[in-house]
Amino acid sequence: MTAGPAAVTAPITIRSGAGHWLRSYVMMTRWELGSLRMLLPLVVAIQVVIGGGFAVGVGLLSDQMPTRAVLYLSTGVAVVTLITVGLVMSPQLVANHKTAGTYDFMWSLPVPRTTQAAAWVTVNSVIALPGMVAALLIANWRYDLPLQVSVSILPAVLLTIVTATMVGYAFAHAIRKPMITQLITTLVSFVILGFAPINFPPENLPGWLADLNLYLPFYHMAVVMRGGLTEGLVTDVGISYLVLGVYTVASVAVAAWVVGRRD
Amino acid sequence: MAVNVQAGAYGDSTVVRTGPRRWLRSYVMMMRFDVRGLGQWLTIGIAIQVLMGAGAALMYGFYLGDVPDVAKIFIATGVPALGLIPMGFVMVPQMVGQQRIAQTYDFIWSLPVPRLAAAASTFTVFTLMALPGFATSLGVGVWYYGVDLQVSWLVVPAVLLTSLMCTSVGFGMAHAIKNPMVINFIANMIIFFVLLFSPIIVPIAQFPDLFASVHRVLPFYHMAQVIRDALSNGFVTDVGTSYLVLGVWTLGGWMATAWVVGRRG
Repeated sequence: MTAGPAAVTAPITIRSGAGHWLRSYVMMTRWELGSLRMLLPLVVAIQVVIGGGFAVGVGLLSDQMPTRAVLYLSTGVAVVTLITVGLVMSPQLVANHKTAGTYDFMWSLPVPRTTQAAAWVTVNSVIALPGMVAALLIANWRYDLPLQVSVSILPAVLLTIVTATMVGYAFAHAIRKPMITQLITTLVSFVILGFAPINFPPENLPGWLADLNLYLPFYHMAVVMRGGLTEGLVTDVGISYLVLGVYTVASVAVAAWVVGRRD
Repeated sequence: MAVNVQAGAYGDSTVVRTGPRRWLRSYVMMMRFDVRGLGQWLTIGIAIQVLMGAGAALMYGFYLGDVPDVAKIFIATGVPALGLIPMGFVMVPQMVGQQRIAQTYDFIWSLPVPRLAAAASTFTVFTLMALPGFATSLGVGVWYYGVDLQVSWLVVPAVLLTSLMCTSVGFGMAHAIKNPMVINFIANMIIFFVLLFSPIIVPIAQFPDLFASVHRVLPFYHMAQVIRDALSNGFVTDVGTSYLVLGVWTLGGWMATAWVVGRRG
């Protein structure tokens, strides 16, 4: 009986501040990792196999690949791994939440919604980075690449992951129907693999398609990543950082808007 | 009149109807059932096939850059063959998997038609669904690479047998494996390995010996062989063996299906 009044009169405090945010972020990251538990090693393994397999497999298609093409392919595969996790796989995980009916529950958790987005980026990195490294190592073993890793790989990876994840995050949350999400992700992976100069140099594309890619983020992701992995393969890295930076800010803004609205 | 109908309704239910005419009628009815059941997926499936076929024809060119004329012919004749694979190996298993998840799987087997008529209907519908994609990717390839192909009448049996083989093996696999997740996984792995590690758009001589000998047993290389043989001159030898291997795989798919379909429970 004494518990009743106490519960009613307990002050309703809205917790906020950096400490609360950080604590929520850690909890959400643990939550997301925990809910992937069984899937996590499998997904990471698939990323590794696909990344490495792709680098080796495409090499089989060509008799004698010039070093330049091989470098494009191998670094491109690493980029593709980062992009597909953020833009293809994670929207599908959100879509699964919607199908399973656990989606609204997630939003009802007493944590700032931005921590959920931040946790999502962290989890995606956990999934994508081993795949990226493995793809590079396998490619390096197969082709003996002249790779030159520099410090600029860090901002390059960070910008690429954040942008890809946030774009994927925004549309996964904005689109109600899981089926449509599925369709879009399929289309996106098709474009990334075949019609953006990531795995091959832009001059292999028809002129107009290469030009179009200057306005999309994928090519620039590849450029900044190659800037951090190789010497002399790409020029004008600054412009690519600029374009990618704009995409990063825009994608975070859209994601924040999607996540912040109530319906 | 009303009495007749009632008597007929009761009377017919105990008669086991058989014979080729009844089989044919069931087959046609099941095709209508399948086409209606696919509904908008029919259009979407064909549209995806067409888009992906056209896209793939271009994509390989982007990857390989400037290639010699022989390689162009291999791409232009290989990509249409490649495009036949997803319909049978991905869409058919996924359809069966969906039926299991939606729990309509048992209902379909409970329909009063011969089970083989139901299976034959699925083979027919999906074999035909793959054709527009094939034509598109062939057209786009010929246009983009500017190659000169010699199309012979053999293209009809080659394409039909290939498509039928894919549908049959996919169907057999989907029925033999109960867990839809496992089927999905296998289907995706097949696509991945076939897209990357198959001598379909490149000569088999380019492959390491181990891969090459595995591919002489698997159906994918032979699909490319019979289709390339029907579309060009002088690139394919020993096409008879390839037809034979495809035939064996088709039969294998049918036998797996017959075994699963025939048993009860």
